[in-house]
Amino acid sequence: MTDTNISTNSKAKAIAAIVLPYLLAILASFVASGIFIAIMGFNVPKAFATILFTSFRTPNGFIQTLLKFIPLMLQALAFTVPLAAGKFNIGGEGQLIVGGIGATAVGIIFADLPLPILLPLVILAGVIFGGFWAAIPAWLLYRFGINEILTTVMMNFVSFGLIDYVATQIWRDPAAGHPTTIPIGAGGELPMLISSPPLHSGIILAIIVAVGVYIYTNRTSAGYELIATGANPRASKVYGINTRKMFLLSLIIGGGLAGLSGAIEVAGYQHRLIEGLQSNFLLLGLIIGLIAKGDNSAVPFVAFFIAVLEIGASAMQRTMMIPVEMVFIVEALVLLFVLLSDVIRRR
Amino acid sequence: MTKSIVLQMEGIRKVFGTVVALDDVNLQLNSKEIHGLLGGNGAGKTTLMNVLFGLYKPNAGKVELHGEKVEIRSPKDAINNEIGMVHQHFLQVDSYTVTENIVLGTELKSWPTLKLEVEADQIRALSEKFGLAVDPDTIMSDLPIGVRQKVEILKALYRGVEVLILDEPTTNLTPQEVDDLFESLRVMVDEGLSIVFITHKLREVMSVCDKITVLRDGQNVLTEDRENVTEKSLVKAMVGEGLNVEESVVFSSVVSGAETRWGASEFGEPVVKVEGLHAQNEDSIVVIKDCTFEVRQKEILGVAGVAGNGQQALAECLMGVCPIHQGSVIVDGMNVSETETRDLLEGGVAYIPQDRLLDGFLPTASVAHNLILGYQRNQAYSNKGFLDWKIIFQSARQQIDEYTIMTPSAGDVAANLSGGNIQRVMLARAFAHPSSFLIAHNPTRGLDIRSIDFVYKKLFERKEAGAATLLISEDLDELFRMCDRIATIYSGEIVGILEKGEFDKYEIGRMMSGVKAND
Repeated sequence: MTDTNISTNSKAKAIAAIVLPYLLAILASFVASGIFIAIMGFNVPKAFATILFTSFRTPNGFIQTLLKFIPLMLQALAFTVPLAAGKFNIGGEGQLIVGGIGATAVGIIFADLPLPILLPLVILAGVIFGGFWAAIPAWLLYRFGINEILTTVMMNFVSFGLIDYVATQIWRDPAAGHPTTIPIGAGGELPMLISSPPLHSGIILAIIVAVGVYIYTNRTSAGYELIATGANPRASKVYGINTRKMFLLSLIIGGGLAGLSGAIEVAGYQHRLIEGLQSNFLLLGLIIGLIAKGDNSAVPFVAFFIAVLEIGASAMQRTMMIPVEMVFIVEALVLLFVLLSDVIRRR
Repeated sequence: MTKSIVLQMEGIRKVFGTVVALDDVNLQLNSKEIHGLLGGNGAGKTTLMNVLFGLYKPNAGKVELHGEKVEIRSPKDAINNEIGMVHQHFLQVDSYTVTENIVLGTELKSWPTLKLEVEADQIRALSEKFGLAVDPDTIMSDLPIGVRQKVEILKALYRGVEVLILDEPTTNLTPQEVDDLFESLRVMVDEGLSIVFITHKLREVMSVCDKITVLRDGQNVLTEDRENVTEKSLVKAMVGEGLNVEESVVFSSVVSGAETRWGASEFGEPVVKVEGLHAQNEDSIVVIKDCTFEVRQKEILGVAGVAGNGQQALAECLMGVCPIHQGSVIVDGMNVSETETRDLLEGGVAYIPQDRLLDGFLPTASVAHNLILGYQRNQAYSNKGFLDWKIIFQSARQQIDEYTIMTPSAGDVAANLSGGNIQRVMLARAFAHPSSFLIAHNPTRGLDIRSIDFVYKKLFERKEAGAATLLISEDLDELFRMCDRIATIYSGEIVGILEKGEFDKYEIGRMMSGVKAND
């Protein structure tokens, strides 16, 4: 009896030790940004209430939040999985775009196939194209030792050209005013879970992926090798892990995850490829990954929190005319304070 | 004749966090005395001297020079008080000449030019006077470690010292160089210096020191003239009551010379066959030249040599980490050049790397993660690619107990471990998995005597069970104590192999400096 009491007690303490710095960081960032909002002459409590509770007041707000959560979480994982092996994937948006292109291409070319065949193909194409886009920098790293930060960033710019070509030349939708492709076949669309307000089944995919990533990194021998490589590549090599292969693999997995987020945007939300679908998911993904300190199992929770802030921010802009950029300040401050709490704990 | 007291440290206390490193420690140094400061790892020897040299500020206690209280807040204060220290790891500028290294940080007579003839002459005079043969005009990187050591001592002498602290000065020296060093120390003492000699080696204390102070767990245990102590009484003082001395490997070899009762046995079949091994490092520099040797069942083959002569490359060739350019290495029937390191580990090769932080440690992962590094696909821990954390934690807790790894839990992040505990993780990992061949590179570095004894017993247990061991060590005493044969390596080449009974430290010392056995 007492034994279990002690262990649950110490477990609770351990969890508190992890969560408490986060709560303090969030509190501190709200206080700091509250000062800005007050200086700008807005109603601070009302602004914060809008930011925090928009997601939970109406079903629509909650579903909007979930829809935002899907790409944010996948983008964050696309960053943190390679990070676990010690590699930096800053090419998430390029991989998202190319994944979206792949999904769209399959969805348009095989538009007549029935859903049970076409949908898996569309999703798979997104993963494979995204993985391929990351495989190029990964191979350059493996073969020539070229720094992956540089190459993954530069591949983003290549993807901008590519999507422009696809959306204005190959499958251009002449009716649209913005570079957009024609829609994919109906069989390539993710089925709706709720029709009004609309929630597509991509959320299930995203949750499965998050659980899968957790199992891979924390429960498998292969994931162990990934973590070990990130912790100390030299020691991992001495103890028989092919670290260069792990670098390669981790970046390709990251690309696949980002590509999946592109495919879900296409198959679930837009049903076509629209230039600009990458939004600012890359930067938010990096912030989420960093706030989670690279911990894959923390990413979904942080991603949900950031999605809440994002939805709250656009509501705040609509109803109170406070610039949406305000929420970037909050997000940046949370990151800053979380990192700061680490420094303080080390002292 | 009573000697005058040069230095007196009284009631020194130093606390790091919750650890009391020094507790009310006293030290009295007479003029013209070589004072041995003896103790195992973590006994507080170096901490005490760092207090004297102004690197640490003590929490309590005072320091007196010639009966007058002095405050030493920095190494600069120490040097102004004519206290010099030679650290275990020396700080030298490789591309500078000996003279430039020595005068660095002192006021130059020729300032602002760099005409150092006067200084060079001064250094030449010093090196002749004290028998520290060094050419002041040589570039530092051209010098072997033994000579670099002399430069470091000259550095202190050049600044004018009355008290010289030497921290484990013999670590990287051949036995001949050790003898030379001791002679120089005698000359220094005759010239009026007083010397504190930090070491954990009994034999050195007995051969060179006038007075001996033993520290244990940050406390004074014994201070005696050399005439009044024996190696036996010193060992007892160093380890305390906790160790059963009759059963101790370290102790029994001290009393009976090199031979131990664990030593002799019949050898079995060769487990490891190395033939004509050549290897290059990443920069295509030859690191191993034409090595040929065997290690048999029930045998411990030692590898002696000054650090940096290819020992690590040799270990890594046998582990399949360093690529083999020529020749063949067969370990337990596996051809190493065609076998992945992973399969070698699974096939029964264990490894204790010398650089535990760089080559064997995952700081950001948990202690349990660290204990299974290299064995993550072993059937004991994983089932169809999935890790069984319940069993991993169970065995981790067992190993934490058996190897007395000080950690709050197996899930704690490994970066919190101290150096000695990290070494215990390396040992646990190597010993806990069955192996027919073990490569142990400086396995006892950073351990206290009790843990060293534990390692030695583990090695002998393996030996009795029929396993083969390659023990690479820079500690000749360790090799003499443990090995059935000792191979000496010099710049990547095995210079000679001696059988037990032929062990001779001067013979090995000659080979360590590159002289072939039959020359």
